Order: sequence, then C-alpha cells, then structure tokens
Amino acid sequence: MFLEIEKINKYYGEGENRNHVLKDVTTGVEKGKICVLLGPSGSGKSTLLNIIGGIDEADGGNIIIDGAKLEDMKEKQLSLYRRKHLGYVFQMYNLIPNLTVKENIEVGAYLSDSPLDLNELLNTLGLWEHKDKLPNQLSGGQQQRTAIGRAIVKNPDILICDEPTGALDYNTSKEILQLIEKVNKQYGNTIIIVTHNDAIKNMADKVVHLHDGRIRKEYDNENKIPAEQLEW
Amino acid sequence: MKNPLRKRLPRELKDEFGKYLVIFLFMTLTIGLVSGFLVAGKSMVKTYNDSFEEYNIEDGHFILNDEITGTLQNKLEDEEDITVYSLFYKEEEEGEHTYRIYKNREDIDGVSVHKGRIPEKDGEIAIDRKFADSADLKVGDKVTLDKKEYEITGLVALSDYSALFRSNTDLMFDAQNFTVAVVTPEAFNRISDNNLKYCYAWKYDNTSLTDKEKKDKSDDIKTFLAKNAVMTDFVPEPDNQAIHFAGDDMGSDTAMVMVLLYIVIIIMAFIFAVTSISTIEKESTVIGTLRASGYTRKELVIHYMELPMIIMFIGAIIGNILGYTIFKDIVAAIYYNSYSLTVYTTIWSPYAFVMTTIIPCVLMFVINLFMLTKMLKLSPLKFIRRDLKKRKNRKAVKIPEWKFFTRFRTRIIFQNISSYIIMLIGIAFSSIMLLFGLVMQPVLNDYKKTIIDNMPCKYQYILKMPVEIKYNEAEKYAITKLEMQRDNGLNDEFTVYGLNEDSQYFDIDFSGLKDNEIYVSDGVLDKYRLKKGDTITLKEKYEDKEYTYKIAGSYVYPSSLAVFMDIDRFRDDFDKPDTYYSGYFTDNELDIDEKYVATKLTQNDMTIVADQLTDSMGRMFYIWLVFAVALYMLMVYLLSKIILEKNSNAISIVKILGYKGNEIMRLYVAATAIVVFISLVISVPLSDFTIGFLWRAIMGTYPGWLAYKAPSYVLVEMFVIGVAAYSIIGALQYKKIRKIPMDEALKNVE
Repeated sequence: MFLEIEKINKYYGEGENRNHVLKDVTTGVEKGKICVLLGPSGSGKSTLLNIIGGIDEADGGNIIIDGAKLEDMKEKQLSLYRRKHLGYVFQMYNLIPNLTVKENIEVGAYLSDSPLDLNELLNTLGLWEHKDKLPNQLSGGQQQRTAIGRAIVKNPDILICDEPTGALDYNTSKEILQLIEKVNKQYGNTIIIVTHNDAIKNMADKVVHLHDGRIRKEYDNENKIPAEQLEW
Repeated sequence: MKNPLRKRLPRELKDEFGKYLVIFLFMTLTIGLVSGFLVAGKSMVKTYNDSFEEYNIEDGHFILNDEITGTLQNKLEDEEDITVYSLFYKEEEEGEHTYRIYKNREDIDGVSVHKGRIPEKDGEIAIDRKFADSADLKVGDKVTLDKKEYEITGLVALSDYSALFRSNTDLMFDAQNFTVAVVTPEAFNRISDNNLKYCYAWKYDNTSLTDKEKKDKSDDIKTFLAKNAVMTDFVPEPDNQAIHFAGDDMGSDTAMVMVLLYIVIIIMAFIFAVTSISTIEKESTVIGTLRASGYTRKELVIHYMELPMIIMFIGAIIGNILGYTIFKDIVAAIYYNSYSLTVYTTIWSPYAFVMTTIIPCVLMFVINLFMLTKMLKLSPLKFIRRDLKKRKNRKAVKIPEWKFFTRFRTRIIFQNISSYIIMLIGIAFSSIMLLFGLVMQPVLNDYKKTIIDNMPCKYQYILKMPVEIKYNEAEKYAITKLEMQRDNGLNDEFTVYGLNEDSQYFDIDFSGLKDNEIYVSDGVLDKYRLKKGDTITLKEKYEDKEYTYKIAGSYVYPSSLAVFMDIDRFRDDFDKPDTYYSGYFTDNELDIDEKYVATKLTQNDMTIVADQLTDSMGRMFYIWLVFAVALYMLMVYLLSKIILEKNSNAISIVKILGYKGNEIMRLYVAATAIVVFISLVISVPLSDFTIGFLWRAIMGTYPGWLAYKAPSYVLVEMFVIGVAAYSIIGALQYKKIRKIPMDEALKNVE
C-alpha cells in the first residue's frame, strides 16, 4: 500500500469542549489511484486530509507514505517532505494576488528539482492564453485550474484536493474534475479528494465514507466512470 | 531557479508606491542628515583637534596686573619647564561691539584666514569671521577704534577663540557683540594703553605630559604666580571655554543626532514589521498553502523581509551620498554659524558609514526578523484557517454597555492594539522633538524678558578705583566673585553683592539676618536644588579661603548666580575698609572718566545668553520642528493606513449594510483619532517633563543657570499642531475609505 492510514485519532478543544473528531480511522490508498473521502460537514474528512498532508498532527495512530512514517518526522523534515512529495489544492484557490497565472505556477515549480514543463502544463490546464493575467482577472474555474497547476507542476506523489469544486458551478466543477482525472492519467499521481458531493465518488478508484469521525464504509470502485460523465 | 515569489516585490512596490516612497524619503533624509552631521562633525572635530598642533594652541594663559619682568619670566620658565609668550591685548569699543585686539600672531595660538589676508600695514585689521557675519561686516569695510579708522583686510578665526567667550566664567560666548582681532605690531602699539591687558600664554616644554601631569604643573604655575605677581586671570587650556566649548558641543551634537537616528530607525523598523505582519494576515491562506506545499518558514521570512531591507539599504546608501555632499555643507554651516572655527577639510569617516548604514540595516534586520519569525511560527493549518492568534480560546474583552458606536470603536482599538501602542510611542517621541523645536525660542525670549523685567537698574558700573559722583539716585554697592567648586572642573562663578540696607534697586530686607545668613538669586536654589535654611560654601578663585553661608531666602535675579548681603557684612567678610565700594547702580548714564571704569553693564550685557543662543541655534530649532512634524505625520499616516487596510473587508460589509460615509468615519477614523488624541494628551506633559529633565542635566554641566519653563501657550500650540496634522491624515483616510469597494467583502467569502 502506498498510503497507509493506521488508527488515526484526533481531538479538538479542551475540557468540556473536547471533541473527538477522528476515531481509530484506518484505511489505505494504492499508488496512482484516485481516492475520494466523502462525508457530511463535521465528519472529519478535512481533518484527516490535513493529517495526511502533514499540516496537522494526529493525537494517535500513524500515517505511512511509501514506507515513511509522518509521526517520526520533525517540523523541518515534514516541510521537506511536503516540498518533495505533496501537492495541495484548496476550495478557495489561495493564489498569490499580485503574481500572474504563470508565476503562481512557478511558485510550485520552484519547489521541485525536476518540475513539469511549464508551457506544456499551461496548455494542459487550458490556461495558456491566461498565463499573464492576475488572479482577479480570472473566473473561479480558471483560478482553481491555476491552483491545480501550482500543485502538480512539481509532479508530487500525492495530490491532495480539499473540496476542489466547493466554490464552483456545475460545469466548471466538471471541468476541474476532468482536469484532475487527466493529471492522474498523465502524471500518475495518487490523488485524494475530499468532498461532500456524493457524485464525485463515481470517478474514484477507492471511496471512503466518513461519518462522525469514523469510517462508515469503504470500497474499491469497480464501476469507475470518467469525470465527463458525472452527473449531479 | 530563482524564488518566483521575488517577482512580487516590484509589484508590491508599485501597488504601495506612495507608502514606500514616503518611508524611503524619510529614511534617506534622516540618514542623510545624520550622515551629514557625522561627516561634518568628524571632519570639523578632526580639524579642531589637529588645530592644537597646527596652530600651536597654548597650554594655558594668565593675566597680570603689570608686565612681567625678564627675571621673573626666566625664573618661571626655568622652574616650571615652560615657555612663556606675550599675548597682550587691548580692548576697544565701537558702538556696542567690543574688539579685543592682538598683535599679529606668529609663535602661538595661530590665525586661520577664511577670507582676505592678515594685516600688513598700519590702518588694517583682521576680525573674527563669525562676528563679522553677525555684525554684517565684510572685507574692505571700515571700523573706527580708539578714534582711528581701520580697513578690514581679513576674516579670520583665532585658534584659541573657537567660541568667542569674553571671560572664561561667562555662561555663554558672545559672537554678536564681541570679537577678537589682529593688527600689525606698529598699529597695536599706537592704540591707547587704557585697556591694555598683560596676558601671557604658556606651552609646556615637555610635550609628552599626561593630563594629570599638566594639571599638577598648571597648579604649580598658579602657585608661583600668586606668590610672585598680582594675577587677575588664570586659565589652563583644558578649562578654557573659548578653546573647548565648540569642540565639546560638536561632540555632543553627534551623540544627540545618533540617538535621533536610532529611534527613528527603530520606529521605522516596527512600522515595517507591522506592515509585513498586516500583509501576512491579509495573505494568511496563501502563506498556509505555500507552507503546506513545502515552502519553508525561512523562505517566507526572507521573502517578507526583502522589501524593507532593500528600501532600508538603498535609503542608507543614497542618504550617505547626500550626507557627504549636500547635508555636510548644511551642517557645517550650522557649526560655522555658531563658532569661529578654523577652515576644515572633509574626511572619509568609516565610523559615519557604520553608524548610518550598517547599524540601521542591522537594526531593521533584527527587528523584522524577530517579528516575522515569531509570526510565521504558526502552523500552515492556522494560516489556512486564518487562525493567527497565539492564544487559544481568546475571549472578547468585556466592554461596558456604552453606545453602539463607542463599543464598536473600542473593539477596533483593541483589535489593533499593537499598532496603536507603536503609534503612541512614536507620537510621544515626535512630540519631544516637536516641543524642543517649539519651546527653545520662547524659553530664551522668556528668559530675556525676565532678565529685563528684573534688572535692578539700567546701568551697573564697576570701577577701577573709587570715584565720588553727584547723582543722588546712583547707589554704591560692592561686588566680588567667588566660585563654587564642581567635579567637572568648570566651577560655577558666583557674583557676591554687598548692598545698601535700604537699597532703592533691590527689594531685600537684610534686617534681622544672622551673621552667616544671605540671600541668593533664585537660579541658585533651582540649579542646586537648595532651599531656605540650607548652606552653601563658596571659595576665592585663586586662594583656598572658603565662605560658608546659610540661605535666608531667594531673590529674582535671573542674569547670574548671585549672593546678596548687606554692604557692611560684605566689607567685614572680605576684609575691606568701612567705606569700600566697587561701583554704582543707576538708571542714568554717569559722567565718569572711562579710565576709572572697569565695566559698564547694560541690558545687552545681561541678555547675551539668550541673544547668542537665538543667533546660533535658531536654524536648528526650525530643522527640529520640521523633522518632528514630518515624523509624526508619517508614522500616524502609515499606521492608520495599515489599520484601515486590515479592516477593509469589514468596511466593505458595513457599506453593503447601508452605513453612510460619515458613519463609517465615526467608526474607523474616529477610533484612530481617539488614540491620537489620548497619545497627545499623554505626550504633551511627558515631553515637557522630558525636555525639563534633559535641560536640567545639560545646564547642570554648564557654568551659570538658565531656567527651563515651557510657556503654557507652547504646550497648547503643540497639541494644536498634533490635532491639525492628524486632520490632514484623517481626510486622507476618509478618501481611502470611500475607495473601498462594496464587493471587497463579497470577494472574500471565506
């Protein structure tokens, strides 16, 4: 298993307000597969994603990526790990407002010793003609494509997407999902998508349902369909 | 690959051009001014220090009642291992100007020529450059001295008169009414001997004496002279204010401007840090994303430090260039406006470079590094969630049930408390500078007015020998000088007056005073923090005889440190005959032959300190004033801008909700206005206290006393300037608020 998640526990708050948000979560994802984490708000899916991404700490359990235990890593090693192996895509894009599309993607390229070809990627992302625009000149979909570009330009082992379509309309959401699928095929990255949109599970290789901090259901999706055919 | 984040820098600079330009200009000009001060100061101090050797400045001088005999001079030179030089001078007056005339000097205390040349024939004279400036005299002009006309051939500086002190015991030099001058020996001999002073300078034959050895030797010379001649003045070179006042002052100015520079840099560094932190808060989610993507804390700290450091560095370099070119001359002009300095040459000062470039850059670096590192220590997740508060579960500060607007404003103040604290400190600091710039002239004017108001009479004559006169209103008095010893060697001179018991000029009641009880001038109580009932011990200047008195009360007499006693007591205490007196107090000019008059003091003589300080420092006060207002406005502008930017989303929301422009002003601009108002209320008395404290510390090291009291109108003026300056900034803020679009809040939906 490329990504192993073992008995992850996580608490927020203290005293009376202590909240057990992840309860003995255990699962795994094979290399190069798309995994969708589904669940309603407050189910703990984003927290699990953040722990996998090494930007939040678990209170118990292990995350093992390609044999490396995140728990054993110090802040500096974690930072280096993220730099080399992880790509992030957020719901709100988080682009740097005074850098152009191309430069925002370069921000990701800088972190890699062997980044993807920038021009080719801009074409793949459909951003070639927008490459010199600032984020405030772009639509939401274009901004999210730029954010995906920034995440994958360093060709990370794992691409982590936190509600990547949460702020987008139906058509744009489908475009973005198609793009993620394309990236997965073209570059072979392992992709973890957190969403509350049930339809997206159909494009995944593996689906994990979280509810109240526990895995309610998980399965390998035998009937995977292309993103283009998703409907909701 | 170069860090692509760098590409933001020029855009950040372009977007915030106004802000960075103002900071840049302010830093550049501050560094330029300080660099100019250091370069001019160092160059002039070096020239000044070198002048001791270059112009063979004396190791001391003394004045005797009569010309020294050859035998006595030889004995003195042999016994004390010194060489004695005649430095006779004659004093002549033209109007209110006193000329102290020397023969052309060759062997000792050389002359530096600023313009023209040294006199070569009878009828020619070279006078002090600074005095010539004050008296509006030029080369080629004519002056009449001892009924003879002289043409000015040169404007010069005598190396032993870098500050034109008439007497070493004067509180202040007097370049407006007093000058030194040189003429040919023939011309000198032709001038009347009425006011001839037998002045002699000495140099130690052994040039490697330590300060302690020089001091011991000068004590020996004094003892020798006291035993063998009648001495009227004795001034070793280290105690000579005419030689050292300018040098000491140039050094103290440098220290002052350095403190100014560092305070400005620290304030600027904090403003930069607050600006960067505000940007970080604004870009919190981006930073979180970058950190989550693998950007290290170090890379981001460097990124946010780059712009302030680049601006600081370029400002320091350009500031230094300006310092070495334009400001150096401006500062030199200030010194030359005060002192009679020899001609200076600019020297490259590594010290100035380190102080104005390296240290400010390091200060800026350290403060920014500290603030940013502290800020960026938070986890990426916290940035993504915009959860930038260090303390968890931070509860809202409880605010009483005030009106909604008041509560809202209070929340804004609490939200921006760190910016407001920096604003308070900055306002306090600029207020101190502002008060200094505003208050000096009124203090001097007030001092002058007090002197004039409290002058016992229009004329005070000191006679060489008793002269009886017919005027009924002229009142006899006795006078002598004693000194109070101080640790720094500059002993305070006290004027001791013996007055008629029923004096018509002094309203002092001596009846009922005990034997050792006296009155003192109010400055004595103020300077030494004495009170009625305390005792003071004074001593004879060149003898060890001491007098201890108990203070019975004080009398308003601001022109000098003075002791008042009954004239009979005076005669007893100082072993004078029963009919002894020294001169007259009178409201009318007396018809006494000049040869009997040692000194005639008028109003001008009494107000010399105020006049001289106004003349030499006036420009400086103005520079301080402008600088203080600029610093105040810059700082309040930048911080209030940051606060507005931080709240732009909230402002946008209240606009959407339907708040009107003036209502938004009442919330956001008024919050800052309240802080500015409170800061001013705190800063005005604080500045008054600080200036008073510094004043006392500085005046304590000078002989004499000049009291500090800021007139209340100056404090009001200061407050009004503060409020007026803020109104301009408030107007700019209003303009900025109007520009915040309503969709700002809609864009930031997170």
